[in-house]
Amino acid sequence: MSKGRLLYNYPLPVRVWHWINASGFVCLILTGFQIRYAEVLNFMPLTVAISIHNYVGFGVIANFFVWLSYYLGTGNVKIYIPDSRGWLALVWEQLKYYGYGVFVGKHNPHLMSPENKFNPLQQLVYLVVMFVFLPAQMMSGLFLWQIKKYEEYINLLGGIKLLDTIHVLLFFLFTSFLVIHCYFATLGHTPLARFKAMLTGFEEH
Amino acid sequence: MKKNYHFTVRYGLYIILTCSVLCPSPLAAVDNSECFECHSDEGLTTESTDNILQIEITESLYVDEDTFDKSIHNLIGITCVDCHADIEELDWNEEVPHARRLEKVHCVSCHEDAGEEFKNSVHMKMRTKGITMTCYACHGYHYVRQMEGASVAERTNSICLKCHNPNQFHEWLPSGDAHFAHVECVVCHAPEVPRHIDLRFYDLITMRFYKGDELIKIIGTNFDKIIQTIDKNHDQIIGMNEFDDLFFMLKQKNIRPILRAELVADINSIAHQISRESAQKTCEMCHASDSPYFNAVSIILIRDDDTVERYKIDRAILESYYVSHFYLLGGTRIKRLDKIGLLIIAGGACAALGHLIIRVLTIPLRRGKKENDD
Repeated sequence: MSKGRLLYNYPLPVRVWHWINASGFVCLILTGFQIRYAEVLNFMPLTVAISIHNYVGFGVIANFFVWLSYYLGTGNVKIYIPDSRGWLALVWEQLKYYGYGVFVGKHNPHLMSPENKFNPLQQLVYLVVMFVFLPAQMMSGLFLWQIKKYEEYINLLGGIKLLDTIHVLLFFLFTSFLVIHCYFATLGHTPLARFKAMLTGFEEH
Repeated sequence: MKKNYHFTVRYGLYIILTCSVLCPSPLAAVDNSECFECHSDEGLTTESTDNILQIEITESLYVDEDTFDKSIHNLIGITCVDCHADIEELDWNEEVPHARRLEKVHCVSCHEDAGEEFKNSVHMKMRTKGITMTCYACHGYHYVRQMEGASVAERTNSICLKCHNPNQFHEWLPSGDAHFAHVECVVCHAPEVPRHIDLRFYDLITMRFYKGDELIKIIGTNFDKIIQTIDKNHDQIIGMNEFDDLFFMLKQKNIRPILRAELVADINSIAHQISRESAQKTCEMCHASDSPYFNAVSIILIRDDDTVERYKIDRAILESYYVSHFYLLGGTRIKRLDKIGLLIIAGGACAALGHLIIRVLTIPLRRGKKENDD
């Protein structure tokens, strides 16, 4: 039985957003593979894959705005903004921990709290993911959904092949991110502790 | 095996023409100019019955001579009375110098193959509902154009869209308007018809297609020599490296075109074989990188007289950024991105797996440290 203290790190709206987003991502990735590799994958017809991809895509976009409204509304968006003072040194500390300290049983240099949930490395990654990659993916996905309707914007961006390149590269990055994210989630005090925390809201320290 | 439609029509007509020259008949006596004596009058009309709606209409008998002169039939030497074959001679003493009501023109007399293909089409079946679809309901009467170099918009606007609204019955089709803009209707609706991708040079700044003669002038060659200029290894197909060279040559002359692609049907009688059951609805037929729909890809240059010069090019061009405005999901995907994607995903997975393995291997180390700490 663990003797750590319990912290309420993940409020209900964050957990609901997270799991909707996670299932949306999985769905978009699977249908994305089917759409791109129709000659080798055949787990659903292409029209079905495209329809699901479109509907789920809109779900993820709506969910993003729920997330944005929540974090802007509560002011908690600051947890995504790295502290410029000594930030690089803190990132280096965190990298050293993941690259060495975690193997030899050192303590995580970052102490998690509801107000300071992300370590400097997470802050950097989530800042880019949530404020650059995801909006870029949503925008490129929206244009690809109705290519004639948004033709002028697509032409301004250099044509549909470039737009597709952005969407596809981000798709690969998100797929890779999902794998690494799930793996990092096993780095809690037990392998399943962080998964449980994201379900109950409470994390043991 | 079906006869080549183009071959049949062209050479069939040459034979007819040759025969008519060698064996003069009363028909030869009627010249087009005599017909235009009356039919160039825009006010010339007759009362008639609409073929489809079966209602009385006032039908214009005016023929625009300039447009007729550019029609494919005139260009290959077909005269008015070759089609209106019941006019043997003109009697200028009469108000109307020929029979007031002429017999229907039987296009299938020449276009035999097209007639055969049409027999089992959905348009023929309309007759059971009392609607007769004639050839000229789609193709028009006197202004049938040479369509080989026509764009999708020109092809569909002048034929299918006269009756059909593409937004009906296509609700299931994702990005319908993009399909309608780049794919000719019969490619899906007569799936047996041979088809090909036409690529044309397009200038994004002036937003217009380059004319064939214009490009030839820019490159500094002529139509007879252009293929030797581009196809350096003389294998009768423009390879990617050869196209790179051509593009570089254009760039040096301050020309930076893109290639606009369209999926169109060959001018082939099989295009008439349209049936409700056979319409292609399997998206994977096109949207897969091994699609048979892209086996024939050509750059086309259209001469000033509307004739088309076609140069085969490696289908890999569709998977390049040169064709930046034609996107068929997996069908024209850029393969280099797949390799980058594999690196990104495999990199992430390997990093996670490697970290996990080291974590497992170092369990004794952490256990020892914990025991020491306790």
